[in-house]
Amino acid sequence: MRADSVSGADRHRLHRLRDDAIRWITRRHAHDGETARLGRDRVYILPTRAGYTLVAILLVMLLGAINYSSNMAFLLTFLLVGIGHNAMWYTHRNLLGLRITSLPVAPVFAGATLSLPFRLEEASGRPREALTLSIGTRASAPLAIPAQDSAQVELTLPAPARGIYRLPRQRLHTRYPLGILEAWTWLTLSPEILVYPAPVNPGNVLGGAGGQATASQLRTRHRGETPDHLRPYRPGDPPGRIVWKAFARSGKLHVRESVSGRGDHLWLDWEAMPATDTETRLAMLCHQVLAAHAEGRIFGMRLPDLTVDPGQGSRHRERCLRSLAQFRSEPRVLAPETPRT
Amino acid sequence: MNTRANTAAANPDLRGLELALIALPVAALPHIAHQPPWITLLVVLAIAARAWLLSSGRQAPSIGIMALLAVLAGSLTLVQYGTVFGQEAGTALLLIMIAFKLLEARNRRDIVIALFLGYFVVVTTYFFDQSILTAAYSLLATWLLTAALIQVHAERHIERRRLARQAGAMLLHALPFMLVLFLAFPRIQGPLWGDPQREETARTGLSDELNPGDIAELLQDESTALRVEFDAAAPPLRAQYWRALVMTDFDGRRWSTDRNTEVIQPPVTDDTLVHYTATLEPTRVRYLPVLDYPAVLPDGAELHANYQVLRDRRITRRIQYQAAADLTTPPGADDPQLPPAERARALDLPAAAAPRARTKVALWRATHGDDDRALIDAALQRFAAEPYRYTLQPPRLAGDATDQFLFETQAGYCEHYASAFAVLMRAAGIPTRVVTGYQGGSWQTRGEYLRLRNADAHAWNEVWLDGQGWVRVDPTAAIAPERIEQGLPGLARDTDEPIPAFLRRGEGLSWLQSTHLSLEDWRDFARFRWESWVLAFDPERQRELFARLGLDPRDWRSVLIALGTGFGTIGLIALAWVWIRTPRHRRPAADRVLGQLSRRLARHDPTLARAPYEPVDAWSRRVAHAHPELGTTLETFARTYNRQRFGRLTPEQRTADLHQLRGLLRTVPRARPAFAPRRNDASRQRAAN
Repeated sequence: MRADSVSGADRHRLHRLRDDAIRWITRRHAHDGETARLGRDRVYILPTRAGYTLVAILLVMLLGAINYSSNMAFLLTFLLVGIGHNAMWYTHRNLLGLRITSLPVAPVFAGATLSLPFRLEEASGRPREALTLSIGTRASAPLAIPAQDSAQVELTLPAPARGIYRLPRQRLHTRYPLGILEAWTWLTLSPEILVYPAPVNPGNVLGGAGGQATASQLRTRHRGETPDHLRPYRPGDPPGRIVWKAFARSGKLHVRESVSGRGDHLWLDWEAMPATDTETRLAMLCHQVLAAHAEGRIFGMRLPDLTVDPGQGSRHRERCLRSLAQFRSEPRVLAPETPRT
Repeated sequence: MNTRANTAAANPDLRGLELALIALPVAALPHIAHQPPWITLLVVLAIAARAWLLSSGRQAPSIGIMALLAVLAGSLTLVQYGTVFGQEAGTALLLIMIAFKLLEARNRRDIVIALFLGYFVVVTTYFFDQSILTAAYSLLATWLLTAALIQVHAERHIERRRLARQAGAMLLHALPFMLVLFLAFPRIQGPLWGDPQREETARTGLSDELNPGDIAELLQDESTALRVEFDAAAPPLRAQYWRALVMTDFDGRRWSTDRNTEVIQPPVTDDTLVHYTATLEPTRVRYLPVLDYPAVLPDGAELHANYQVLRDRRITRRIQYQAAADLTTPPGADDPQLPPAERARALDLPAAAAPRARTKVALWRATHGDDDRALIDAALQRFAAEPYRYTLQPPRLAGDATDQFLFETQAGYCEHYASAFAVLMRAAGIPTRVVTGYQGGSWQTRGEYLRLRNADAHAWNEVWLDGQGWVRVDPTAAIAPERIEQGLPGLARDTDEPIPAFLRRGEGLSWLQSTHLSLEDWRDFARFRWESWVLAFDPERQRELFARLGLDPRDWRSVLIALGTGFGTIGLIALAWVWIRTPRHRRPAADRVLGQLSRRLARHDPTLARAPYEPVDAWSRRVAHAHPELGTTLETFARTYNRQRFGRLTPEQRTADLHQLRGLLRTVPRARPAFAPRRNDASRQRAAN
């Protein structure tokens, strides 16, 4: 890939050319979404290097057979030609009819590794062997699926920066059974991929001794809410906070707020973050969200163009983190490789 | 979820190595007999070493060691053969390369290369042997190699049984391709380079010269020389003389073949011809044994004045030829006189040769006068009357061979009798020559062909009689008529001679011997079919095959047609097979009737077609609303249909209902085509609405 003789620009151009070619070939294919079924129209096949080696060996055998007028040599050569030809069918069939589904991807923090689970289902009654799923140069471990069964495979990719991502084109391929041919398909499965900002402790940024104090300065108190305030249930509220007695009385779900007894909401405010650039602020907010969630606090979050109402629980946490990840960010295509500079 | 854990050894790339270590030695096994022992030893050691390393979980030897070993083996081969090219040296090097490749295999590529070369090893075994047994063995080796290849690429351990089945299926599915390519791939006559003479160890049949003892050696040779299939019924054994060489020149002891004889055209004859196809084992000489007397020649052969048939080149591989014989018209039958030069040659006798025989002949001449016929009979009579013996182990002849044989030992076989008879005749002034060839043979009821072994070699005479030509006289027939009537086995019956068991058919054989003989017949049958159907296929036979289809293998368009037809047939059969094997749901009969009704109504009025989502009840009401005259029919139809599809019915009721449905369908008249809007128009209309 990275031959020294090819300059970076050339490589880039080659890459673009290849991409364009693949796009042209797959122009008829609809975007896959969550699941894809491999029909005849999207399984491609070409000989591998081993395939060309075998062709060369067979040519030599054929020349030998002609030279020695040996019918048995002809027979064996032609038998192998037949086997090679049928390998095309076998290899193609190893991919054909599979259904591949992208499973939900667990969000990660920037800099961590994303693991992308896929499920492959076999419904035609043929066991499948040696399937590999790859994105760019990242390849999964080879996979076998018993007949009428399914198997799961995981690809890992680095999560470079916070944001919301799309998967680049995936490739499912196999060389089974003889390795002389490779059948493959291009997939455009697109699970939702969220990368949260990597948390940064604002206290650390502000430095040393005043850490705790400043951290509490960042919190804005709100008054006017009693400790035992009941409010209607909102999706995402932890079940433990539901006041079942109230439910028994009124038939409506209510939750008890502020079990911590502080009686105030914590607001995590963009403006209050001790940093000037967006990403650091987001990273700090991320840290605050995690900390507040860990403490079991009720908290809200204010971003320049978005406010997350106070709440608590893991769904609330995720809502906050998601807003951080999506903040002023368009979906991008995930690069399969960590960019090298 | 069924993600299987990899249970393979440390390096998953080497998963197929185990099987490769079995498959490759199997492929190489036939070479043991043809390679010096040190190569076998080297190969076995390398493979055993790798097997040991693998089983004890160790790594392959380092590259340094391998390089050293490779250089060593290369030099040894060079020392052994003086070259690294050519059949033996090349094969030796190939075997060593594969063994070392296995020994040092580090990744999948190494194993794959070794296995590919394994296929090559299989093909090199055909240098030595092309028997059907070898073919079966190479099928086994190919099967194992393919199984190993599959295992290498399977990425997990596959159960042996499944692997065997998969590899077997791949082989089986490849057979039709093999067949089509074998028949239709354009053949050209080799060689492209070099001299592939050593391809088959030529087994010499009859030699150019007739030395005492030559044929006796052949008589011990059980191997097949010639196999013949007759187009019609085979002529009787005693009429079958397979002529190979004619010998006129005699030096007192040795007869030598006529050379530089004139090439003639086969005579035109009105007699019934015996057509046959012969398969000849390689002889390394040019003559073709043909049934006496040749009337239609094999392709590429010429007839000489002495009726020897010679091919345009030496026979270095098994060949098949078609010819026809006229059993009754001998050479020279139309010539009143033998040309003087010919005559002189056929009478030539060294002055000192056979004095006692000459005296004897002079006596006969005195008795019979000018009657050559009578004189011939007298000589034959002598053989029959005197205690001459037919034996394969005659005493050694010293001094004048002819006299000693005729008057002292009186024991010998065809060669002795033919030679002595010729001397007697020449002494009497009758032009005589010796003909060698085959006579007898065994008729193989299994396969309906005549099998002539080298042991069926025979020698007889031809004497010139004015007006009759070269008349065949077989002196052996006078001593041992059974030899001629029934072939050698007939002879073996009433003699105590140590005749090889294979010549004694039927009687006096132990159970084991006769079983062996019957197995031998089977083997010869299989060999014959293999040879005549598979090995004998050459450019010429391909031309015949193509010609029968109106094609010509030298024309690329013909080849394309043949290959296309062949592959097309395979494709169609494969498609049909897949189609048959694919399970499909047959629509219930009631549904088919429903569809017909809907289509029939749609011909009248496209809006009446039932939409796929429309319940039959609703549809019937809709149609009844539009066409009240159909109301009852449709209502009954819907009721019956629903009962048929969803009710619980006995088979009889089911059949009755179906009948009713079909009856109802028939009551709906077909649309008049002239008025019926075309379907496309209808759908367009609907789209417009």
